[in-house]
Amino acid sequence: MAEPTDTPLRSQEEIAARVKALEALLIEKGVMTTEAVDRMAEVYENEVGPQLGAQVVARAWTDPEFRARLLENATAACAEMGIGGLQGEDMIVVENTDTVHNAIVCTLCSCYPWPVLGLPPNWYKAPAYRARIVREPRKVLAEDFGFPIPDDVEIRIWDSSAELRYWVLPQRPAGTEDLGAFELAALVTRDSMIGVGPVKAAGA
Amino acid sequence: MRPDATELGDARRRVEQLVRGMPGGDADSRSFEEPWELRAFAMAVAAYHEGHYEWSEFQLSLIESIRRWEEGEGGEPWSYYAHWLEALETVLAASGALSDSLALDERTRQVLTTPRNADHHHAHREPVAVSPATR
Repeated sequence: MAEPTDTPLRSQEEIAARVKALEALLIEKGVMTTEAVDRMAEVYENEVGPQLGAQVVARAWTDPEFRARLLENATAACAEMGIGGLQGEDMIVVENTDTVHNAIVCTLCSCYPWPVLGLPPNWYKAPAYRARIVREPRKVLAEDFGFPIPDDVEIRIWDSSAELRYWVLPQRPAGTEDLGAFELAALVTRDSMIGVGPVKAAGA
Repeated sequence: MRPDATELGDARRRVEQLVRGMPGGDADSRSFEEPWELRAFAMAVAAYHEGHYEWSEFQLSLIESIRRWEEGEGGEPWSYYAHWLEALETVLAASGALSDSLALDERTRQVLTTPRNADHHHAHREPVAVSPATR
């Protein structure tokens, strides 16, 4: 029987690589399928990360100078809050306004700003979303996500890559003037930072 | 496109049954902080569902890994899912599903030296699609 690894003090990057390697080997050997692992991970995928993105959004809503820094250089602004990537990939935050709505995709694979949003949901990785959100964004948002964007608002879709990952700064919901950053963060959904869903309404 | 919420809730309750009473497994230390942790967690449950080991074997292996850490063999910082991964490797080795730990070391080196998404490495600085306002 093989001994468990005795490598001391592995970095997050090394251990992440080991997990990836283990999964690849086990799938090749037919020990399990990717689908089975995906299915299990899906149960918990909401728990890795999106709360970090939500904290960043809440701070941007309450601190105009931070918001400016976030839009100027999201990687640096997130690093101020101790949030960053494995390999230092850059992030750009695109801001929703009354006239522009943004959503993100990775057209080739599943690049995703996971340090702030956690793991990508399975549909984000699926060919259907990757192709259609580019071809007919208005329709996909309205029909697949039940999130219609008004006709007088332009929709922009941003393609993430290994080098540069986008995510969305949603608009602060009405009626939240009295809320602090902690309560505001609870309104920020993962989908609102992907651009495929709303933030929660105040008091909801 | 999206999974049914009830289905996910049911699956979650079944997993919670499984992990209840795991060593070191209070809700705080079990929460996920890195994507690999969730992946390792999901693999252990999936391999168990495939019948590669009894859950009690995995549990014992996890206890053993944590015990070794407590005895200070490695002097490593605490990481619940590092123990989880070690326990998973151990039970998979015992069941014969992962007979060759050198192959895993080698594969890990490959992953580390391969640039991620080598086919997708340049930055796209303009929107990939725009749907203009129509009124």
